[in-house]
Amino acid sequence: MKFAHLSDIHLGFQKNEPLQKIEQQVFENAMEKCISLNVDFILIPGDMFHVNIPEMRVQKYAFAMFRKIHDAGIPVYVVYGSHDFSPVSNSVIDLLVETGYLTKVTRATSKEDGSISLEFIVDKNTGAKITGLSGLKVGKDVEWYEKLERTSLEDESGFKIFLFHGGIADMKTDSGMDGDQMPLSLLPKNFEYYAGGHMHKFNHQKFTDYEHVVYPGTPFAGYHQDLEENAKGQKRGLVLVEFEDKVKSVEFIELENTQYEIIEVDANNRRAESINSELVEKTKEIDAANKVVIIKVAGEMISGKTADVDISLIRDKLNDSGSLVVNIAKNQLKSKEYSITEAKGSNKEEVETNVIAENIGQLRFEQSILNGESGIKLAKRILEELSQGQLANEKKNDYIPRVRDSVLAILGVNKDDS
Amino acid sequence: MEDFQVVGQVVGGKFGDIVIRQKSGTNIEIGDLMVSEENGSFLILQVFALEYGSQIQDRMQQMMSGVNMEQGIVDASFYEPEFVNYVLARIKPLARVFKERGEVKIPKSLPSFFNKLRLISQDDLKFLQKEKDSIFVGHIRSGSKVIKEAEVWLPAEDIFSHHVLIPATTGRGKSNLVKTILWHVLDTNKVGALVLDAHDEYFGRVGIGLKDHLRSRENLVYYTPANPPVGANRLTINLQSVRPEHFEGIVDFSDAQFQAIRMAYRQHRKNWIRELMLTDAVQAGMESSSPSKSDFTAATMMVVQRKLRLLLSLEKDEEGVVYSRHEVFDSTTKGLTTVEDIVRDIESGKVVVLDTSRLGDEAELIVGNIIASKLLQKYKDAKASGEIDRKPVATIVIEEAPRVIGEDVLTSKNDNIYATIAKEGRKFKVGLTAITQLSSVIPRTILANMNTKIILGNEMKQEREAIIASASQDLSEDDKNIASLDKGEAIITSIFVPFAMPIKVPLFEDIVREKTKTESAQKTKVF
Repeated sequence: MKFAHLSDIHLGFQKNEPLQKIEQQVFENAMEKCISLNVDFILIPGDMFHVNIPEMRVQKYAFAMFRKIHDAGIPVYVVYGSHDFSPVSNSVIDLLVETGYLTKVTRATSKEDGSISLEFIVDKNTGAKITGLSGLKVGKDVEWYEKLERTSLEDESGFKIFLFHGGIADMKTDSGMDGDQMPLSLLPKNFEYYAGGHMHKFNHQKFTDYEHVVYPGTPFAGYHQDLEENAKGQKRGLVLVEFEDKVKSVEFIELENTQYEIIEVDANNRRAESINSELVEKTKEIDAANKVVIIKVAGEMISGKTADVDISLIRDKLNDSGSLVVNIAKNQLKSKEYSITEAKGSNKEEVETNVIAENIGQLRFEQSILNGESGIKLAKRILEELSQGQLANEKKNDYIPRVRDSVLAILGVNKDDS
Repeated sequence: MEDFQVVGQVVGGKFGDIVIRQKSGTNIEIGDLMVSEENGSFLILQVFALEYGSQIQDRMQQMMSGVNMEQGIVDASFYEPEFVNYVLARIKPLARVFKERGEVKIPKSLPSFFNKLRLISQDDLKFLQKEKDSIFVGHIRSGSKVIKEAEVWLPAEDIFSHHVLIPATTGRGKSNLVKTILWHVLDTNKVGALVLDAHDEYFGRVGIGLKDHLRSRENLVYYTPANPPVGANRLTINLQSVRPEHFEGIVDFSDAQFQAIRMAYRQHRKNWIRELMLTDAVQAGMESSSPSKSDFTAATMMVVQRKLRLLLSLEKDEEGVVYSRHEVFDSTTKGLTTVEDIVRDIESGKVVVLDTSRLGDEAELIVGNIIASKLLQKYKDAKASGEIDRKPVATIVIEEAPRVIGEDVLTSKNDNIYATIAKEGRKFKVGLTAITQLSSVIPRTILANMNTKIILGNEMKQEREAIIASASQDLSEDDKNIASLDKGEAIITSIFVPFAMPIKVPLFEDIVREKTKTESAQKTKVF
């Protein structure tokens, strides 16, 4: 007997058309793979979709695919993730559950004393007992797990699987991950397999009382960071598990997604000019055709503004040479001369004012209105204007010029000056 | 008629040793606090000695006793006994309180002669108002009487960055005090703490503990090596986090052994312990022609391996994977970020309790060392970049402190991180909370830097002397007083309190009962 375990597919995450195609392709390949591997069932513990109600394009192909899986007689067991979660069962997951394509495994009842008891779902073909909890923001998660009635879950006999969505602190391998982690001890013990979602890299570890805790990772990408990892050679795919009354094997099956090129520049102790010229040089060296190109500039420049590192030039070149998409990661680029420092405040307003006030001293402009007090006021007004949302019934073509014109007016700049 | 209950009257003495006559019918105890009212201010004084006084000569009295006992004259008694025989109390001034301004100053004058004294009351202690972000340690105690309304709160940031020493012998309420302090640290995020809990007694794995605090979910992090209770973290530290300098000042390695260790570190960097443990010592020593390995002999190598094996409880399984018996150290992929996670928690003002009860002495200190080094480095960096003000003060709670800041450790070996923190941590808002039975073996330079001492009972004269000699207030007359402190009674001496304050630390269990009103159970909504 065997099952497939996938997670964090994040359908609907990609905004660029070429990447959207890859996203769809990878998902369809993964499902086809499950059919061809002849699995008894599929587990997807969360973040199947990037939002609870994704756009129609995504829903269409997802439904088509799950129907195919359904017709092949393969049940799919799921819990909500942190992205596709809906407290009022208002997620496309629920739609798929209603049609019978998916089965939500969280059969929970909350008792008078606040405790939560979970029931098992028994897979008809294999007899595997499945249960689990959805993912939320972690603070809330912890509360659920603390209130879980464990004894009945831990004492239940048979081949038991627990689906969960959340980071486990005991399994972290790098510190760069977000701080939202929970200790493994929150999960009930003695399950044969813990099917995890939320962590985006394949990770399989064994602990006392927790025989197999597994994250398959995302099959393609759910954060921008994932594409960069892919470019650096991170393998993506699904997990295939063979079992009888115990787990016999846990195998990671790689799924191809696309080809990448990465241009990395270390900006430490350098100036914008030299960084720019290195970027141009490195662009010449690569063949970008039909590839996803990641440009990463990180480090602390010795002088100048981070905006002086100009990527637009090479982006155009790469586009001309037929790259699928050019992804730029500049968020780890800082400058000694000008670096944003955090600031405190009791509300958003105050924090904004303080951030601007603390940092404006690092800037020197010839136009006195941009410096000091007046600079702070100006920056705040622009920020305010830029945070105006699009009005109901307002078209994008009306919205953009409206905001642009009012910002230009605040700056006292004539539109035609540029 | 006075409008207060007189307990005595000033009859003589000198500054720092004033003699009062006790009013008959009252009961004065050692440690009692008294008040002498004067114009616009009052003096707080404390009893440090009691003796008899009498208007009749000693020899006369001895004869009286003879008449009484030997001749059996039963009704022999003094004429007006309360007038003739009495108790003299020797008292010292602690503080002068100016009523209007509420200011407290060190007294520099005597109370007026013949002035009548009364026992202290809660109204006299109004100046002890709780300030923002302070830590509760107990109630003011006058002798054995506790003044419940007078709570003593210490300014958290000041006292923790200037180090706290808790000298006490076993059974005097040391862990109760530490729990009480940590309980109030949990109230806010203004203090981050690393607690090396060698007896696993603070978290409350069984029974009441810090876990019962209402904010424990956000502010308390508990690490324990095996079988963590629900919600607790597994204490696993990857051997990659351990560096040679973490052994300095803790483990006794010879120069040659250290050289071997450093060589291994240079060669294998992060994996040095694993590689070193897997190296065949004999072969490594034999290949003396190979330049990288020629620096040490097979014997040195074997000693280093043996010491590391014992220290960290390392074993090798049949596949050549190095592991530790108590599961705290891991050579594979577990615990890679534990140290960083802990440091981050402390930096965000949480209390991190490490259950080190399964670790050996030295292994415990090494674990603490790894974390403390990283923590101090982070705070130093924050200082350099001007961000230190945004960080909470951090304290490292360590028991049996002489293990790391004792004279013998510090003179014979290099400084370790604890000594460094004791000496310079204050500048970087990192302090020690050192608990010890033996203050006398801590060097005076370090003792003097511990600017708050919460002194619990201690029978050992030598220890009392060391504490008194380094106290922030003059405790030269308090030797007897410290010796007679009962369980839970303490004296706080600190540069942050106006005078050496006698306190009674409440029972931790009572605090917990009082503060944790049972949350009304509510149905949890599950999706």
